[in-house]
Parts: sequence; C-alpha cells; structure tokens
Amino acid sequence: MPANPQPAHARWCALETDPSGRARLTLRGAWHLPDLAAIERALRAQAIPPRVILAGADLESIDTSAAWALAEALRAAGLTPAKVELHDFEPVTQRVVERVFRLGDAGEALPRRKRLGGLGQFGLSAVEIGRMCAGHVTFLGETTQALAQLVRNPMRLRLKELTVQFEQCGLNAIPVVALVTFLIGIVIAYLLGLQAEKYGANLFVVDGVGIGTTREFAPIIVAVIVAGRSGAAFTAQLGAMRLGEEIDAISTLGLSPQHVLVVPRVLALMVALPLLVFIGDAMSILGALWIAEPMLDITPATFLSRLREALAVKHVVVGLAKAPVFAFFIALIGARMGMTVGRDTRAVGLATTSTVVQSIVAVILLDAAFAVIFQRLGI
Amino acid sequence: MGVIEVDNVSTRFGEQRVHAGVSFSISAGTLVALIGGSGSGKSVLLREMIGLRRPDQGTVRVLGTDMWADAEDEVDAVRRRIGVLFQDGALWSSLTVAQNVAAPMREHEQLPPRLVRAQVRLRLAQAGLPLSAANKLPSELSGGMRKRAALARALALEPQVLFLDEPTSGLDPITARAFDSMVRGLVDDLGITVFVVTHDLDTLLGAVDRVIVLAQGRVRADGPVREVMHVDDPWVRAYFAVRTMLEGGDDGG
Repeated sequence: MPANPQPAHARWCALETDPSGRARLTLRGAWHLPDLAAIERALRAQAIPPRVILAGADLESIDTSAAWALAEALRAAGLTPAKVELHDFEPVTQRVVERVFRLGDAGEALPRRKRLGGLGQFGLSAVEIGRMCAGHVTFLGETTQALAQLVRNPMRLRLKELTVQFEQCGLNAIPVVALVTFLIGIVIAYLLGLQAEKYGANLFVVDGVGIGTTREFAPIIVAVIVAGRSGAAFTAQLGAMRLGEEIDAISTLGLSPQHVLVVPRVLALMVALPLLVFIGDAMSILGALWIAEPMLDITPATFLSRLREALAVKHVVVGLAKAPVFAFFIALIGARMGMTVGRDTRAVGLATTSTVVQSIVAVILLDAAFAVIFQRLGI
Repeated sequence: MGVIEVDNVSTRFGEQRVHAGVSFSISAGTLVALIGGSGSGKSVLLREMIGLRRPDQGTVRVLGTDMWADAEDEVDAVRRRIGVLFQDGALWSSLTVAQNVAAPMREHEQLPPRLVRAQVRLRLAQAGLPLSAANKLPSELSGGMRKRAALARALALEPQVLFLDEPTSGLDPITARAFDSMVRGLVDDLGITVFVVTHDLDTLLGAVDRVIVLAQGRVRADGPVREVMHVDDPWVRAYFAVRTMLEGGDDGG
C-alpha cells in the first residue's frame, strides 16, 4: 500500500503541521485554468482547519481562476481569505493571490435565475397576449385618427414614401405571387379533376377552380405571402429605426411617426393587396387552364366559355373586397410590432416572427368572419 | 520580442488608403493606448490585430503567432489567450450576464457547472459588477454596466492580452476613471498586456504607460504620454491643446 493514499491530490497541495505546531497548506506546481477541475478536487479533499497558513514556496505560478478556487475553499472552511497568512510566496504569485482574496464577499452565492412553472408560464403568456391585443386596439385607434386627419387635410399625405412602399410591397411581390398562385391553380384543378373524372363531370372542374380560387384561395394565399413578406419587412424596418432612435428623431422634429411611417405603409398595402389578389386570380385560373387540356380533355376555348357561364362577377368582387381589409390588419400589426419593439437587437427578431404569426392568424380569422357574414347576407 | 508585433501594416478601402505602413511592438505587462482622429483607422487596425480583418500588407503577431499566416488552429489557440472588449460590449442579447460570462468557459474548458458558477462570480467581482446583475439580460443594464459585463466576459479565459475598443466612451467621468483604475490593476497585479483604442484624454493621462498616435495612415508619435504631448505634429498639438489650456498654459516651454 502506498504511503500517500491520494497522490493525485498531493500534486497540487498538502496539509502539514509546521515545527511550531500550526497547520499549513502547502501549494505546489503551476495553478492554471486548464487544471482547475483537478485543483479544485484536490482542495476539497483537504479538511482545512481554522487558523491555517498558506505556504507558497513551491507554487510556480497561479492565475486568478485558481486563486479564486483557493479562496472558495478557504471560505468553505469558514475562513476569510483576506485574513489568511501567506508564507514564502514569490512576489508575483503573492500579488495575484492577495488581489483575488480581496475580491468578493464571503459565501455569497450566485443567485439562481427564477424559472416559472407550467401554470405560471401559461398565466404570463395570457397576460402578455392580453396586453398586446389592448396595445393593438390603441394603435388601431391612433392609425384611424391619422387616416381621418388625412381625409381632412390630404396635403399631409407623403406621396414619395407611399410610392416607395407601394413598389416594395406591391410591384416587387408580383413574381412570387404569380408563381405561387399559378401552381395553386394547377393543384386545385388536378385534385378536383381526379374526383370529377369518376363521375364524368370533367367540365365542372372549371366551376370549382373559378369560384374557389377567386373567392377564397387567391385572397388567402396572397395575403399570407404578403404577411410574410411585407408585414415582416414593416416590423424589421421600423424596429431597426426604433433601435437607432430614428423614430424619436422624427418625433422631436414635431412630425408624427404615424403620418410619416405608418400611414404610407398602411395605404400602400391596402392598394397593393387587391391588385396582387387580382393577379393571383388570373394566374391560378391560368394554371388550371394549362393543366385542363392534358388531364381532363378540356380545351382552352371550352374552359373559357364554361368559366364565363360559371363564374359570377360577385365571387371575384367578394375576393377582391376582402383584400384591403386583410391588408389593413397586416400593415397595422407589422407597423405596431415594429414601433414598440424592445431596445435590443434580439427583440427585433422576436417581433418580426411574432408579426408573421399574428398576421396569418388575423387573415384566417378575418376570412372566417367574412365567410359567415357573406353567407348571412346571401352573397 | 513583444507580445504584440505590428509590422508594416497597410490597409486600403478601394481608393482610400487607411494605413500606409504602420509598425509598433508592445512588450508584456504594459498598458498601451492607440489614439487618432475619427477615420484614422484605429478600429480597423484593432480588427486586424485580433484576426477579424486581413491587412492588405504587413504582418500582425500576437503572442508570437502571425494572425494571418499561421495555421488556423494556432490562431485559434491564440484567440483563447486574448480577451476583446468591443465598443458596445457585444454581449449576446439572448443570454443573461452570467451566461455571457460563462460561455467562453463552457466552450473551451471542461469544468463542472458548480465551478463555472464560482468562476462567474470571480469575473463579475473583477469587473466590479454586483451579483444582482448576474441574472439580468444585457438590455436591462445601463451602458456602464454593459461595459463591465463585457469586460467580465473578456476576462473569462484568463487572457494574457486584452484588447479594449473605446472602453470609456459613453461613460460618466467617475465610472470611466473607475474603469481605468480597474484595467490598471489588471496590468499591475496580474501582468496582463492591455491594448486600448481610446479618445479619452483622462485615460491617457491617468492610466496609460505609452501612447501610439495614428494619423494619415502612419504612426506619428509613440512613447510615454508626457513626451508624446510635446511632439511637433499638428494633429497631436491640437489634440492635447485642450488639456494644456485647461492646465493653465503648462505647455512645457
């Protein structure tokens, strides 16, 4: 059996009794961060008595992290590090140890971060959502007020900002809207065609595609695309402006951020979205027309003549009429989330994500409300 | 050989020449400041020294490693031995202060969580932050506290060299002087080498061993503050004129 039962620990420190009978903790080797775990284990293995002295003749070097581990071990033994005697230290190691021993108060633990339980988290989320909705309503009021002021005084409209926004959220969205709705047209015609073929009712695919896309699919899909594109962009732009205190700068000039930033975006989107929906209508019907001949033997001429019979104008109008309402709420949510973003970079990302989710939910909710209303009205 | 060796560094942005052969060497355990007018390329030089931007010409050696020519793992090893305090702290905004400070240790050292928490307390104490700040998010801190938290993170891996980019800008004079003396303490007691980019005259006069003046793409002056103050260069004279005026015309002659 070896004389020393813990040679691994003895490499770093050993507890001895000096000739005068006092306990001394002899420190050995180079105490540095990479070995910190081993050093700390060695220290914890010692039962450090009160009135211990530290002997540092064999301590080659020490860094602050290791000195702190030593201080912690002394504190754990009920000692105040700054009052412990240091013997035979090199000037450099003595300076480091003394400096670290003076830092921090005895036994003060790092406070743990409070975590909410499931129910607490649920309640907190509910309160936050409630607050956010209340804020949205306030913002809705402010925006409506700004729009009303615009009606009384049309000169306050910022035409340049309006056109820039219209270009960004309208014109630039045309390719993606056209592509997606074209493909949706194909998919719907294909799915309807599979069923209709069984009954030899090929021609009724035209009815389904015409009414379905113009009344429901095109408005919803285009609104979702625009929510992801422009709603997110509004939040990111305005959020970045808020971080850079640009919105505050607008206010201090005596201008209203509502008029300068929000109203042009809301109006631009309200004009752009119906136009995009119209493009969506046309493209999805085109998609259906394109696949109708190879799959269902419906020639383009037959398709169009059937479309004229089957698709009443009211369906197209209903679809287009929903668009400005969707646009108003998408723009409102996007702008409000941007204007009230927290003052750090992470908050902009969170707000942008939230905008997209909220806008899409709002679009679906509004569409459901429209469906009920139009049905009651018999449209 | 110095801890930091900048040799004949040139940088250009398109047509604009930022550095035209900048050279200096910094020895261990000193606190050196780099000053220069806005747009003189101080921050660019700092980014080149810490390996974030490649200089168009010349070499930068930190702790003996060429930051732009030596093997990537060697450079990474050096990066672990340097600490950087960015101008606005650059704390990760989704992590608390304690998590920010713990991150370098978690990434590079295998320490049990208990030990990491103890080390976080050390770094917070070194940077002069109260423990109550540990669980706050960076967005909940004042500017001065953010700088301290960033310093605590920079110290986490026991750096031998510390780079500070305008550490006292945006701080009130009292906080700024406390920051200076804290950094001075790191140099005196722990032998850390500190390279600081600053505009703060009080930092220069109160805490710094040596000043390097960068202007028109070159090192215009280099030496102890009291000497550099009297160098015959229009920019240096204008820079220190404010101070000599305040000190009652003590312009040394």
